[in-house]
Amino acid sequence: MRAAALRLGRWPATLRAPRGIELSQGQIVHLGMLLALAQWPLAPYVPPWIAISGVAFIALRFVFVFRERRRRSPATTPVPAWLLVLAAAALAFLIRRNYGYFVGRDPCVAFLFVLVGIKFLEVRTLRDGTLLVCLAIFLLVTPFFYSQSIAAALFALPAIAAVGAALDALADRDVKATFTSVRRAWRRTFVMIAQGLPIAATLFILFPRLASPLWGLPADRTAASGLSDSMSPGSISELSLSDAVAFRVDFDGAPPPPRLRYWRGPVLSLFNGREWRALSAQPGGRLLQGEAPLVRYSVTLEANDHPWLFALDFPATLPTIDAGGVRGNGGGLAGYSREQQLIMRAPVAQAIRYTLESLLVDEYPIASPREIPQNSRAPPGNPRTRDFVRRLRERNPDDRRFIAAVLRWFHDEPFFYTLAPPLLDEPEPVDMFLFDTRRGFCEHYASAFVVMLRDAGIPARVVTGYQGGEINPRGNYMIVRQSDAHAWAEAVIDGRWHRFDPTAAVAPSRIERGLYGSVPASDPVPLFAREDGSWLKGLQLAVDAINHQWRRHVIEFNRDRQRALWREWKIDAFAPWQMVTAVAAGVVGWALAVLLAFALRRKRRERAIALWDSACRRLARAGLPRLPYEGPLAFCKRAALRWPQFDIALRAIGESFAALRYGTAASRESERVALLATLERAIDALPRAARLRAL
Amino acid sequence: MAPADRAPVVLRHSRIYILPTRRGFAVIATLLLMLLTSLNYALSLGLAVTFLLGGLVAAALLHTFRNLAGIEVKPLAAGDAFAGDELVFTLSLAAGSLDRRAITIAANRAQTTTSVAAGVLATVPLAVRAERRGRFPLGRVTLSSAYPLALWRGFAYVHFPLTGVVYPAPEPSAPPLPAGDYGVDAQAQGRGDESDLAGLRDYQRGDPLQRVAWKAVARGAGWFSKAFEGTASGGPVTLEWARLPSELDTEARLSRLAAWVLAAERSARPFALSLPGSALPHAVDPEHRRAALTALALFPEKP
Repeated sequence: MRAAALRLGRWPATLRAPRGIELSQGQIVHLGMLLALAQWPLAPYVPPWIAISGVAFIALRFVFVFRERRRRSPATTPVPAWLLVLAAAALAFLIRRNYGYFVGRDPCVAFLFVLVGIKFLEVRTLRDGTLLVCLAIFLLVTPFFYSQSIAAALFALPAIAAVGAALDALADRDVKATFTSVRRAWRRTFVMIAQGLPIAATLFILFPRLASPLWGLPADRTAASGLSDSMSPGSISELSLSDAVAFRVDFDGAPPPPRLRYWRGPVLSLFNGREWRALSAQPGGRLLQGEAPLVRYSVTLEANDHPWLFALDFPATLPTIDAGGVRGNGGGLAGYSREQQLIMRAPVAQAIRYTLESLLVDEYPIASPREIPQNSRAPPGNPRTRDFVRRLRERNPDDRRFIAAVLRWFHDEPFFYTLAPPLLDEPEPVDMFLFDTRRGFCEHYASAFVVMLRDAGIPARVVTGYQGGEINPRGNYMIVRQSDAHAWAEAVIDGRWHRFDPTAAVAPSRIERGLYGSVPASDPVPLFAREDGSWLKGLQLAVDAINHQWRRHVIEFNRDRQRALWREWKIDAFAPWQMVTAVAAGVVGWALAVLLAFALRRKRRERAIALWDSACRRLARAGLPRLPYEGPLAFCKRAALRWPQFDIALRAIGESFAALRYGTAASRESERVALLATLERAIDALPRAARLRAL
Repeated sequence: MAPADRAPVVLRHSRIYILPTRRGFAVIATLLLMLLTSLNYALSLGLAVTFLLGGLVAAALLHTFRNLAGIEVKPLAAGDAFAGDELVFTLSLAAGSLDRRAITIAANRAQTTTSVAAGVLATVPLAVRAERRGRFPLGRVTLSSAYPLALWRGFAYVHFPLTGVVYPAPEPSAPPLPAGDYGVDAQAQGRGDESDLAGLRDYQRGDPLQRVAWKAVARGAGWFSKAFEGTASGGPVTLEWARLPSELDTEARLSRLAAWVLAAERSARPFALSLPGSALPHAVDPEHRRAALTALALFPEKP
């Protein structure tokens, strides 16, 4: 505590840290710029009040600095230390309240965000400055917890340049905080980063990645949009308003036709009259073997904060998972639940990529006889539906024919597929939907369909997931968005589950052409779910293709991809000692190359000196060495006295060299070039040393 | 000193050592922490940023090396001083074809920092506090620089056989000079004090520098020497070790003699110095003063 207070406070002189070399105002301004640049990529990911207070602390110090500068008073720390300690404690408490826990990734990141602001408000000594630079550098990685997009990478760049400028400033007390000095420092930093690039790239490729995380912080909650494990009227239509990408798929070979693109998600068996819920997941799924067409594909799934992976109906292999982005030890194992849903041990907290194969069929055997009673219980109520089903069942005792009759009924009666159905707040929502409103979205049709089947004694359940997906022609992969979220049904006939999609009976175009082609034009369909070829959509597809490549080659460069690359480049054939030797040789080679580049650049820049040196050498060999104290003008004058026949050339040499080195004209590039040319021509006009000596 | 000893030294890679500064250690530790975090959370971009900054740190090392490599250091002169004052050694730094920034030259707990532009030969005075009389060797000179970014400190050791002379500290309130050799009256030199300024006269070559009227020089009025009452009346004086009170020890005697040398110099009276084992004839000029003070400085502790 005392150490903390010493660092945070302005203690009486006797108690102050003896090594406290105070920072100048210029240094404080540079530090502040670094902190502000390190904060802002993170700002969207912390709660708004954290973002505002963190930035406000920095702004406040800037206000103080500019006031001091106007009054020409030295840098001070006007806010008392105890107040700042109190503020830090209060903010820690509020963060604890906001997140519900403190020891976790997100609250710690939020606290770091405000802490750098508070620390900056009282930064006083060089040592504080070093601490702040280190905190700011660390802050640079934190936005990547939340997004690793190209934009996130670009946003980090100014802060990286500012790291160099701030370190430069800490080394120089007299640093000015002007535009020119900042630009110069940034340029110097970028030069150094460019020189360090080979090292950085080598490390990126060669530094071994972890197979599994070393630690996992207590549950960090993220608010990802996506499917949930329950369904009530309106839940999927709400999701359909989102353009967000759920996952992307690379197919080996041709993608399946739209009507076979059923991406299976949570399976819902429990119904209370309004809401469908999933049974707790049981193991016991099985892999399908068969004759049907087999597709192999890789899914890059965005974080959904659920342990769900999506597979095409019906999976034939277990997935191979690429990513280490799974929280907790032992993550990375996935399996099928009894409902054939692909489930992971840990929630998908970061985008992951997995590869598997599926058989494109719409039926499969039941996993266990217990599934039949679990999926047969019809909810109470809805008398009109019950009555209608009884009459229909009497005419169609065969299960298949009954289901076909229901689907035909959906198709023939005036049912409408719409994103904006009327509210069903009656006590009998299924009755109201089937016989009164008749307007609904896929969840209404799936739910009513399953209720009708159960009333008829056919075991049935609701399956949620995604249906469809759009092929991005740039990059040839499929994008599945939240707006592709869908609900369909499964029923047991002769001991096998069969897939039925009542939505297809009402609006066949939903399955063939996606959401936009099937709902009324007045419905608020999200922009990128629309089918029209607007330039905006084309642009969006191009950007998405770039993002997809970025994802595949940069973000998901994990252990497996790294090993694959090593195999491809035959790096893994090396023994460790060979590796170490090669890396050491590489580092030495890099250092020599950079130093050589310096030397070459210097040579080019100092052509004037080289020319002058050659002239001096020639005159020295001719018997007239330049005296150590002699300037170019004096020396050339003396030489002109010795060789009066070359008076003009000698004087031109002296004058042009003096102008190049010491004149003001040389600051303009054109003048420089002209002077250099004069110097060169004048030297060419001199005869060789041997002839000069003879003259 | 033989000229060969004063040969210039060019800093080459074999002389230059580079170690991280404290800030360098702090930044490297932070980078390691970032590396662990990025590995644990499989943040490829986190790793990329960490490695980019790692490349920056590595490149800074090369820049630090380059800032020092090729500097030519040359010993110029060793000064002299009284014990307790500052002794100034002078070195020269030739930048060569590069701008050299923030080069710190340190020796004997004294240090100075300078930047030298390309092609410039800079003279660097190094003021060292002299504690005891006698010879004062410059010792090991350390040239170092943390430019740029102050993450690495490059340093090189150079040895030059430069030796300064530290004179005994003059006794603060020494008794007046002994009587002149020709029996000059005591009141003359009693008045030969700087409080009795008689006026200015034209400067002549050989006038002691302390007498120059610097204010007039600074105004551009020309060179004048201050003339004091009684200045002219001082005759030659002999400063003798043997005549000093016997209760004084060696150092006290040397201090008093040093004070007297200065007093004689100030009043422009030719003085002779006789020490056990050595003697200087009468004279008054800077060279004589230096010879006398050097004799006092090098006087053995146990005669």
